[in-house]
Amino acid sequence: MPNLYTLNASEANRGIKQGDFTAEEYVWSIIERIERVERKVHAFITLNKENALDDAREIDKKIRTKEDAGSLAGVTVGIKDNISTHGLKTTCASKMLENYVPPYDATVVERLKNYGAIIIGKLNLDEFGMGSTTEYSRYGATHNPWNVDYVPGGSSGGSGAAVSSCECTVSLGSDTGGSIRCPASFCSVVGLKPTYGSVSRFGLISYANSLEQIGPICRSVEDVVTIMNAISGHDSHDDTCFSPRSNFPYLHINQDRTFSSIAIVKELIDGCDPVVSRTIYSALDKFKEFGLESTEISLKSVKYALPSYYTIAMAEASSNLARYDNIRYGFSFPVEGFEWNTYISNVRSNFGEEVKRRILIGSYVLSSGYYSKYYLKARQLRSLLRQELLSNFAKYDLLVGPTMPVLPFRIGEKIDDPLKMYLMDVDTVLANLAGIPAISIPAGYSNDLPIGLQLMAGPFQEQKLIDAASLFENATNVARSPEI
Amino acid sequence: MVSGLVSKDELKHLGWISRINLSEEEIETFHHQLGDTIKYIDVLETLDSENLNLDSLEIDFSNLREDKTLGFTKDLIPKSVLAQEGYVKGPKMI
Repeated sequence: MPNLYTLNASEANRGIKQGDFTAEEYVWSIIERIERVERKVHAFITLNKENALDDAREIDKKIRTKEDAGSLAGVTVGIKDNISTHGLKTTCASKMLENYVPPYDATVVERLKNYGAIIIGKLNLDEFGMGSTTEYSRYGATHNPWNVDYVPGGSSGGSGAAVSSCECTVSLGSDTGGSIRCPASFCSVVGLKPTYGSVSRFGLISYANSLEQIGPICRSVEDVVTIMNAISGHDSHDDTCFSPRSNFPYLHINQDRTFSSIAIVKELIDGCDPVVSRTIYSALDKFKEFGLESTEISLKSVKYALPSYYTIAMAEASSNLARYDNIRYGFSFPVEGFEWNTYISNVRSNFGEEVKRRILIGSYVLSSGYYSKYYLKARQLRSLLRQELLSNFAKYDLLVGPTMPVLPFRIGEKIDDPLKMYLMDVDTVLANLAGIPAISIPAGYSNDLPIGLQLMAGPFQEQKLIDAASLFENATNVARSPEI
Repeated sequence: MVSGLVSKDELKHLGWISRINLSEEEIETFHHQLGDTIKYIDVLETLDSENLNLDSLEIDFSNLREDKTLGFTKDLIPKSVLAQEGYVKGPKMI
C-alpha cells in the first residue's frame, strides 16, 4: 500500500470505510507528513492537530457502530485562512486579525464537516487575499514544493502548496482574480474557480465581493467533483447564491462527453512565455487525438480586462476593509490618549504594504472627479467582456489558454514591483469579471517548474470543465506531488 | 517609474480619507508605485463606452431575505482586548 498521506479523497474515504486503516491512522499519517515537510514549505498558519485527531476518533466510532460517517469521512481539508472556522483562529494572514477567533463556521466549512471531513488547519495566503505569490503574508512566505526557492503562486499559495506536498488531502481556496488557479498552476495541482453564485461566500472574509468565489484545490479532478458537490448550492445566508440547492448541477466524473468544441483565445497566448505557449499548444494536440479540433478566436475587450479588474477589486477592497478599526477585533493597542480618528488611523497603519496600496488606489478611483474616469468605465468594460464571452460560449463549449503567462519565479524576484505582479493575472481575471467558471489543470513542466492549462466555460457549465479536465488528466498523467 | 500622477499631498489626503497613517518612507515609495498603477489603468479612458450598460451580472436582488433580529449570544462578543464584561471600549469621539 502507498503511504497513506498520498491518498486522494476518494481513496482515503474508501480505505477508512472498508476498514483497511482507521481515520485516526490516516490523520496521524498526515500529521507526520506535516511534521516532516512543513519547515520547508510553510503552508500553514494554524494547525488543528488535537481537534483533527478527536474528529478522526469520532469517525472511527461511527464506522464501528455502522453509523453513516459521510462521503468525506476522514478526508483532511486545509482551509485558506480567510474562511471562518468556529473556534479556530482566522487571521487572513494579517496582523490586524492576529487574535481573531470566529464564533461561527463559514457555510462551506459547515458543509464539509457535515460530510465527515476533518479540518486539519488554516493555510497561508497573501494578506486578505491580495497578491499572486503568498509573499505578502504577514506570517512569512510559503515555498513552492517543486522548488522551495520559488513562489507557490497566490493568493491561495498555502492551499496549493499543502495539497501538492501532501500535507492535507484537499484544500479550499478563494479566487478573486485567479487566487485558486494561479497556485494550482504553479504547484501542479487542480484548482476550480466556480461560477459566481454557485458556492456560498458566507464566512469568507471579503476583499472584493463581486469577484470572489470559494473553490477546491485537489490532486485529482475526481476530488474536485467530490468537494464541489459538498460545498456548492444555495445558502440563505448569501443572497448572491443563485439557485436553490436541489437545482444546482450535481457534478459527475467519467460521464458522457458534454463538450465538443474548443477555442483558444489569441490574446491569452500571445504575450506569454514561449515555453508556456508551447505547452498549451501541446495540450491542444492532446485534445486533437480525441477528435477535438480547436479554433483560434480574438476577444477585443481583453486588453481592458486587467485594468478594469484592478479598478473594481481595489475599489471594493477600500470599502470592505473600512471595517477594521481594531475596536471589535484586532491586536493589542490601548485606546487611552487617542481621539477616534487618530486611533483608527494609527492602528490601520498595521496593514501590510500591499493592502495599504490597494486601499489607497481604491479610495483614489472612487474619489469625486475620478469615479466616472475609472470605476464607471471598469464596470462598463465588465459588462462588455461578459457579453463578448457569452456570445463565444454560444459557439464554443470551452475557451482555453494558459493559467499563468509565466513560470513560477524565485521568492523576492518581483516583490519590489507591484505593477509587474499585477500583470501576471492577465489570463485569470476574465473569469472573475464575467462570473464564469474556470479550472487550472497541470499540463507539463519546464525545468521541473509546473505549467497549468486553463479551461473556461459558460455560467454553471462546470460539468464541461470537469469532463475536459478529466479527459486531459487521464491522457497526460502529469505528476502532482514532488519529492521534498 | 512614473511620479506626478499622484502628488505627495494627494497621497497624504488619500491616507487621511482611508484612515491610514503613512510614514514619510511610505509616502516616498507609494508616490512612485501608485503613479505606475494609475498610469496603467488610464487605458480605460480609451474604451468607447457610449452605448454600454452596467448589467454585468444578472443577479436578482428583488427577493432578499427579511431583515430581522436573531438571538444574540455572548460568544458573539469579540475577544478583543477592548472588550470587558460584555461591553466594548472605544476611543473618545471628541
